[in-house]
Amino acid sequence: MKFKLPWLAAAAAGAFAAIAFPAAAEETKPIKIGVNTAIQLQVGRDAIDAVKMAVDEINANGGVLGRKFETLVADEGEAASEGPKVGIAAVNKLTGEDHVDVLIGGYDSGVTLGELPHIARAKKIFLGIGSASPTIQQKVKDDYDHYKYIFRVNPINSAKQANGLIDFIVGKLKGELEYSKISIIGENAKWVQDIVPALKKGATEAGMEVPIAEFFDVQTADFSPIFTKVKDSGSQYLLIIISHAASDVFVKQWYDAKVPVPIGGIDVKAQDANFFKRVDGKAISEVSTNFVLRAPLTEKTVGWWDNFVKLYGRAPVYTAGGSYDAVYIYADAIKRAGSAETDAVIKALETTDYVGVRGRVQFDALHEVKDGAGFVNELFVQWQQDGNRVVIWPREVANGKMINPPWITQN
Amino acid sequence: MIQILIYGAVISAIYAMLAVGFTLIFGVARILNLAHGSFYALGAYAVYALTAEAKLPLWLAAILAVLLVALFGILIERVLVRPLRRRSMLAVLLITLAVALMVEQVLLLIFGSEARNVPSFVSTAYHFLGVDVSGQRLLALAAGILVLGGLWVFMQHTKLGAAILAISQDAEAAQYVGIPADRMYSIVMGLSAGIAAAAGVLVAPFQTVIPGMGLLPLVKAFAIVVVGGLGSIPGSILGALLLGYTETFIAFKISIEWSQIVSVAAVLIALILRPTGFFGKRVAF
Repeated sequence: MKFKLPWLAAAAAGAFAAIAFPAAAEETKPIKIGVNTAIQLQVGRDAIDAVKMAVDEINANGGVLGRKFETLVADEGEAASEGPKVGIAAVNKLTGEDHVDVLIGGYDSGVTLGELPHIARAKKIFLGIGSASPTIQQKVKDDYDHYKYIFRVNPINSAKQANGLIDFIVGKLKGELEYSKISIIGENAKWVQDIVPALKKGATEAGMEVPIAEFFDVQTADFSPIFTKVKDSGSQYLLIIISHAASDVFVKQWYDAKVPVPIGGIDVKAQDANFFKRVDGKAISEVSTNFVLRAPLTEKTVGWWDNFVKLYGRAPVYTAGGSYDAVYIYADAIKRAGSAETDAVIKALETTDYVGVRGRVQFDALHEVKDGAGFVNELFVQWQQDGNRVVIWPREVANGKMINPPWITQN
Repeated sequence: MIQILIYGAVISAIYAMLAVGFTLIFGVARILNLAHGSFYALGAYAVYALTAEAKLPLWLAAILAVLLVALFGILIERVLVRPLRRRSMLAVLLITLAVALMVEQVLLLIFGSEARNVPSFVSTAYHFLGVDVSGQRLLALAAGILVLGGLWVFMQHTKLGAAILAISQDAEAAQYVGIPADRMYSIVMGLSAGIAAAAGVLVAPFQTVIPGMGLLPLVKAFAIVVVGGLGSIPGSILGALLLGYTETFIAFKISIEWSQIVSVAAVLIALILRPTGFFGKRVAF
């Protein structure tokens, strides 16, 4: 009998510890960020590095609610050759095995769409920083309870990008350069199928002729038929929509054949800082949209850009700005919610009003990042002499004049 | 119309180089070499590595690339294929498949999956008869014709060429007259690999250089060779022209999207009409 009391006390102490300490441990357990991205591509590498940069900064300042961030990465694979299955496996690993608290990532819209049901089932917040198809966020509207976890921080979706492009076509190509005939070609990917008809409509409604509006296979290796057709149609500009396809080869073939039609539009690979050098300078005069550049989009942009270059030795692409902002937006939402619990954070995310490195971030009813004056915008950037990048549109942020390809002497 | 003529010729020349190499090794050694696409990819990557990493001048890198891949082909034949040939041709088929997969993975590991950039040999663009063609493509066409012409001269007018033809007709009889069959097989494999590598080197400046770039050309070479008749070099050239021009015609006249499907359909129709191919005989495994 006498022996039992110390044992009882020990047992009581043990039980108390078992209850109290995990709760305390819960308070200091790290918050895990899962990054699902195409790690073989620069868009993927930059997303990972930007997340790490933001995580290190936040942790150095004490973390969020006393808890530090931890980063885990999983490869979504190459969508063009592997489809969504590698991405789905990556998401399941991060949510099911690594038990992350949030997912930041995405690049190929087809892969992201394949991942959505798995993310929703795992009830994890997803902050998209790379995919552009509007179909992704449409699910938030169609089935809020099931898909409320899905947010898009970056880029502005392809429909809004289309509006930005129409603005470029009407304002710059027609308004300033007085072109009347343009052709549009895009790769045969989901997000492009959403855009091209809208572009054609916008251009024709503005009174321009669009003799060619076509798609080509993402795997296409030979673009000479396209260039010939566009040249023969008498088009004065070729608007391109490429992300996964072989931009390097496209630009080199365009330059080598001295196609007498300037090119520009959405060319994601042309956003790479080393693109100009990679193609031996053959991207001269190509215009491509970008969402982040070394320009004062906000008071944070230039400082962040220089820090990224110092840390990683290369200039960032569009996913970097988005990922960096996404981590801070998530931290900000946790702070405002007072907890990292998913449903509370979702409510806080919906009322986000945060100035990041790309612009001011607010979400609309579909959890889409808002675009327009004062929010996050699409810049039109041209590769010029010696690889200099010049913003040539919108007019308010342009810092240089648009040039022609060197073999075209006048408009 | 002129564009189709010129561009079609360029594509056909490349396809012909690939198909001829493939049919050569089959006609002579009865090897269905599934690693043939790997030689093509290795040629492109070799010239990339030699120019970008070893910083060699382009012409030297190109020649070295072809020689290195030819050596690699001889090595494969000597080390992997020869021991298995006595057993079964199926085993040979499988080992070449294994080589193909290995090569792709090794390239992926070393170079990553992003497309690599190979500088053009010729940077000028040519305009004639109203067509813009890059100098590089014309070079590919000229080189392709030279290589195939050279191969024909070699086969018809040299002792080695005669020996190879002899082996392809009857290996045993050839051995009776003193032709070393095993050594011939290695040489032919080297030749086949070298021609495929040359094709890779020529197209690398204007095509996508990725680890998986050998698969589609292998499939097309196989289709061309079957249509032309397994083991027949003129048949392969004819088949290459058929495929190359059909693809180009469809791409220019209709849409790029359709060019791949229609060209495969053309192959299908050719086989239905003539199952042994244009010039082939029925081959039993």
